Amino acid sequence: MWRQITLAACASGLLIAADADFFETRVRPVLAKNCYSCHTGSRLGGLQLDSREGLLKGGNSGPAIVPGDPEKSLLMQAVLRVHEKFKMPPQGPLEPTEVAGLKAWIKSGAEWPVAPEPAVPVDASVYTIRPEQRAFWAFQPVKKQPPPAVKNVAWPKSTIDRFVLAALEQRDLSPVGPAEKRDLLRRATFDLTGLPPAPEEVDAFLADPSPGSFAKVVDRLLASAHYGERWGRYWLDLARYSDGDLGASKDTPYANAYRYRDWVINAFNADLPYDVFVKAQIAADLMDPKDGPNQVPKHLAALGFHALGHGADDQVDVSTRVFLGLTVGCAKCHDHKYDPIPTKDYYSLRGVFKSSEVREYPLASEAEVNAYKAIQKQIEEKKFEIEDFVKKHGDEVSDVLATKTASYLLAAWNGDPADKSGLDAETLQRWQSYLKDPRKDHPFLKPWLDLMERRARGETVPMDQVRKTAEDFQTFVLAMNAEKKGMDDRNYVAMGGAKGVRDERTRQYTNLESLEIVKYYLWRDLASDPYKKDFVDFKGGVYHHGAKQIDRFLPPLLQEHLAALRADQDRLQKSLPKQYPFLHAVRDSAKPANGKVEIRGEPANLGEEAPRRFLAILSPGEPAPFTKGSGRLELAEAIASPDNPLTARVMVNRVWQLHFGEGIVRTTANFGLIGDRPTHPELLDYLSARFIESGWSVKALHREIMLSSTYGLSTRHSEKNYAVDAANRYLWRANLRPRLDAEALRDSLLAVAGTLDRTVGGEPVPFDDKNRRRSVYGLVSRTNPDETLALFDFPNPNNTSEQRMVTVGPMQRLFFLNSSFVAQQSRMLAEKMTAERLRGDDKAGIREAYRLLFSRDPLDSEVTIGLEFLQKSGGSWPQYAQALLSSSEFSSVN
Amino acid sequence: MNRRELLRTAGAGFGMAGLSSLLQAASKTETASGALAVKAPHFTPKAKRVIFIFLNGGMSQVDTFDPKPMLAKHHGEPMPGPKIKTDRASGSLMRSPFEFRKRGQSGLEVSEIFPQLGARIDDLCVIRSMYSDNGNHGPSLLLMNSGHGLAGRPSMGSWLTYGLGTENQNLPGFVALCPGYPVLGPQLWDSAFLPSSYQGAYIRNSEREPEKLVRNVRNKDLTLAEQERQLSLVGKLNESYLSQIGHQPQLEASIASMEVAFRMQMEAPDVLDLTKESEATRARYGDSDFGRGCLMSLRLAERGVRMVQLYFGNFQPWDSHDDIRVHAKLAEAADGPIAALLDDLKARGLFKDTIVIIGSEFGRTPMIQNSGLERVGNGRDHNVPGYTTLLAGGGIKGGMAYGATDDFGFKAVENRVHPHDLHATILHLMGLDHKRLTYRYSGRDFRLTDVAGEVIQPIIA
Repeated sequence: MWRQITLAACASGLLIAADADFFETRVRPVLAKNCYSCHTGSRLGGLQLDSREGLLKGGNSGPAIVPGDPEKSLLMQAVLRVHEKFKMPPQGPLEPTEVAGLKAWIKSGAEWPVAPEPAVPVDASVYTIRPEQRAFWAFQPVKKQPPPAVKNVAWPKSTIDRFVLAALEQRDLSPVGPAEKRDLLRRATFDLTGLPPAPEEVDAFLADPSPGSFAKVVDRLLASAHYGERWGRYWLDLARYSDGDLGASKDTPYANAYRYRDWVINAFNADLPYDVFVKAQIAADLMDPKDGPNQVPKHLAALGFHALGHGADDQVDVSTRVFLGLTVGCAKCHDHKYDPIPTKDYYSLRGVFKSSEVREYPLASEAEVNAYKAIQKQIEEKKFEIEDFVKKHGDEVSDVLATKTASYLLAAWNGDPADKSGLDAETLQRWQSYLKDPRKDHPFLKPWLDLMERRARGETVPMDQVRKTAEDFQTFVLAMNAEKKGMDDRNYVAMGGAKGVRDERTRQYTNLESLEIVKYYLWRDLASDPYKKDFVDFKGGVYHHGAKQIDRFLPPLLQEHLAALRADQDRLQKSLPKQYPFLHAVRDSAKPANGKVEIRGEPANLGEEAPRRFLAILSPGEPAPFTKGSGRLELAEAIASPDNPLTARVMVNRVWQLHFGEGIVRTTANFGLIGDRPTHPELLDYLSARFIESGWSVKALHREIMLSSTYGLSTRHSEKNYAVDAANRYLWRANLRPRLDAEALRDSLLAVAGTLDRTVGGEPVPFDDKNRRRSVYGLVSRTNPDETLALFDFPNPNNTSEQRMVTVGPMQRLFFLNSSFVAQQSRMLAEKMTAERLRGDDKAGIREAYRLLFSRDPLDSEVTIGLEFLQKSGGSWPQYAQALLSSSEFSSVN
Repeated sequence: MNRRELLRTAGAGFGMAGLSSLLQAASKTETASGALAVKAPHFTPKAKRVIFIFLNGGMSQVDTFDPKPMLAKHHGEPMPGPKIKTDRASGSLMRSPFEFRKRGQSGLEVSEIFPQLGARIDDLCVIRSMYSDNGNHGPSLLLMNSGHGLAGRPSMGSWLTYGLGTENQNLPGFVALCPGYPVLGPQLWDSAFLPSSYQGAYIRNSEREPEKLVRNVRNKDLTLAEQERQLSLVGKLNESYLSQIGHQPQLEASIASMEVAFRMQMEAPDVLDLTKESEATRARYGDSDFGRGCLMSLRLAERGVRMVQLYFGNFQPWDSHDDIRVHAKLAEAADGPIAALLDDLKARGLFKDTIVIIGSEFGRTPMIQNSGLERVGNGRDHNVPGYTTLLAGGGIKGGMAYGATDDFGFKAVENRVHPHDLHATILHLMGLDHKRLTYRYSGRDFRLTDVAGEVIQPIIA
């Protein structure tokens, strides 16, 4: 193809290409139209193409032109698409005449006529969106294009097909034949429900020769509740859905997050218009009149999209990437490097979210909520009362015991039994074991331990020296306890009394006094409660008696009192009902306010005020400030507007990607400058326009896509096509799905074994071998993701995920070979096969398995393979079933 | 086009078509061994594998490898200069309760709490001028592991296996060891947007039965012979399927991985079976979780695992807010096993091409922490402006200190090293140019070192 272009270039190469007119008509417009969007201010690849100096200096790979020598000029190699790396412009080859013009201009010396200085100096401090930025494809209004003419008029079944075929024909590609009916059914069923078709569904479809048979299938699948489970889950990938928030070692639970999950599933099943779907997730609280017994707006649960996130910065980033395919988050610290998004726009949007706050909306009556909270408060109070009581009396006991320190030491020295000296037996025993190990963190017992050592060596130690040492030690202990008490009192005051002491933050941030470290160690060894912290596992001081031991020191009256307190606590705990349901949602804060630009993203370095308003690039002129509350509803309306060039395109592209493996724009969450260009821009616009016309019906979009010849293509290989388009970017065949995604895989294992619980909705269920629910209802954790799902590329819920990865590896195979889950499903499947066998023979059992797993009958050779295995394995149907489940055919979609 | 370029051009998201084109264009042998096949480095490497020992919680520099006489001299006085903002309120300067002594030929001073590492100081490069960006554990852990303070970027082990593959196809290329979880858990060995084959395989080193260490590594019902027969059946089924659908190379990769899995069943339990080591060897590591973790790290490195990351313990044991003397107990638990690991790497000829990293997410303040106390005021707060990381092994100059903190050990002032620089250096030693090791995601080329990072040439032997 490029040879043709070169010939054309030669034909015009002798024009006088050095004059300014030539430049202005044949060169500058070509550069401006095709190159400026990336290679002026944005300088992608370090290359700036709006001056001769820029071209000569070139980018990261060297000069772009060699004046006089087009062949050696990188620019020419790139536009001729013969360079190994650069094939420019990315949206498609230039016209032959354009290429010819560039070549001639370089050959003649690449003169760049000097433009007059602008009359008005450009104010560098004001961000202006340049015309070529506004002209970028993604910011153009959606324009419904007429379908192009095609040569092979017999192939297209729909308008989609004409766009696809035209692009194929342009490249001398031709579509391979249609998929077999059973493959198509399997593909469609997995696509829309994430489950394999039932054998009866296969039979019915194969037996229906009518032209509308596949349309019936698509309608049946779209009407299934499983459709919302499948497509809702994809949306949850984007919404970084999780049943808890990332914590240090475990999630902070979001007990009611699943209500958002179920709202999403229901929205897909009900075909909620996509514009409403979007608006609800930004501003449901402001959209609908309140209704129902709790006066809750209809779609309030949708606000889980924001409430399950991480504050305003996350909200700006996630909502612009998800709804608009723009990376506005990049503009937090500097103007966006590539897209026309000034930092100020970032703070305009952030102001909207900063003027909103996360809030729980109870789904119960006020009385119910209050009753729950009241009991909870009583439990808390009772707990503190018990703790205080135990501590107070424990401290008293500890203090009293300390006044007998010398007696305990002497009793230990003499080996006296406790009763003889009127001491507490357990405390004496604790002393004895404490004295056994001479290694101490403090020096204060050293004199005593020395005496013990002398005696152990056989020396005679005078008793008055022993007594004096014990008494000195006791004096020291009592003085230290007094010092500690004084400090505790002052710290108590410093923290603001009992309330502050119980408040983690107050404790963390108040200056406190403490004993000198060695004294602390002695105090700890005698009086501290047990604790485990940062590698220290302290078992409790000699004199310490906590909740478990305090009773025996208390007089009957106080014992009864403590028992009564504990009984009260138990009773309250038992009377506490399950927490009332609520929604994780958002509301406007009391005083919505504009934020200021944080220069370089530093909160302390404030710049100008950023009025709450929409993005400049998506507004016709200067965007008008939002005036209603936080501005969330106005933002939602601006995003979900039919005039917004991105919203429909981005969603259409996502749906396309999930049906074909790649989007028309491959970077589904980045429609900006460094995102990919659409392979079929007119098709994308056609579908986007249709999407809006249909009332934003996602189901109609599926139907239109799936009823095309393109969707129905076979995955067959074609050498000729492959040589031109190995990656199948132009869809000359269907892409084989080499592996089902994590949920479809798990759900299918359960489905074919007949163990799948098809209940729709409800509280999340932890993943274990007993969990038979569809995976979408499994508990999603940010801190401890389920290892099996993660093994099969389940997305990380800490971030929005725009596309599923498909990896294959041995750890996945180990799952099939050895996991108890697969073994269990194999046994269940084997039972089904055996049941069939009893009605016929071994062949019937094998046939049943093939129909269940692969939606087809086995070949004769496959029956033979199966029979051979069963014979050799002594008739082990579970082993046979496991092999079938481990085969590639089970987990791939052709 | 090499494999890495292919991965790059496969485009954002690595979707089905991306994978398919990748595998179609990759050579037959590469297809057979999958994403973890050994890949050529950018240039001749000095090291082949990494063992990263993470003393999670924050090892204090001024009590271990960064002696500060001025700190002792000015003990109890406020730090000179303007009031310094630390995470919580800090008080006056506090001298180390531990003594430093000159050790080895190099005479580098090491705290008494690390006697055995002190004896091996001539093999260690002490980077005293590390600094980080954020005073909280989470962001600093992520930064040290993935070059970014927020979740969602691939960790260094993932980048290394993505760039180089791994030498033993029967074992995961990147292994993370911890008895339970450190703070943030699996986030720290996440492959994020890189394919999940590059994710750290998490192994609970507190588990003593080798078969429980790797998920699904053991079949409870079938004998090996039965399993082999079953595997051969799966092979026949796949063959039959492929013959029906035609040329589909992406399926062949998954089929090949079945055989790897089968072999992994023998090798993985074996490598983690510490009874295969002599009693004398095991005794040198001790029977603590960390000791066994060090010995496992050795055995994994020996079998060609590209990167092992060993967390000292669950949650954040080195976080001595209350009492810095606890560092003595921590060091006692760490010192012997690490020393044994260094010795055995040498004895087995691995030291010359294994990089050992020993470090934390940040250091601790030279000042006493006088708020946030739950027990006693003898601790130190988090210190981000200056901390110490140790390196040893392949391509590293031993017996040297690099960079310096100020007189009190608070802030790195000379030859400052950011985690990006450390990462750039590790990649460099492994034969990878950190600027060229990129992955295209969401329209952008990502790197471990983001847009920064300088290789620290002076520490390279």
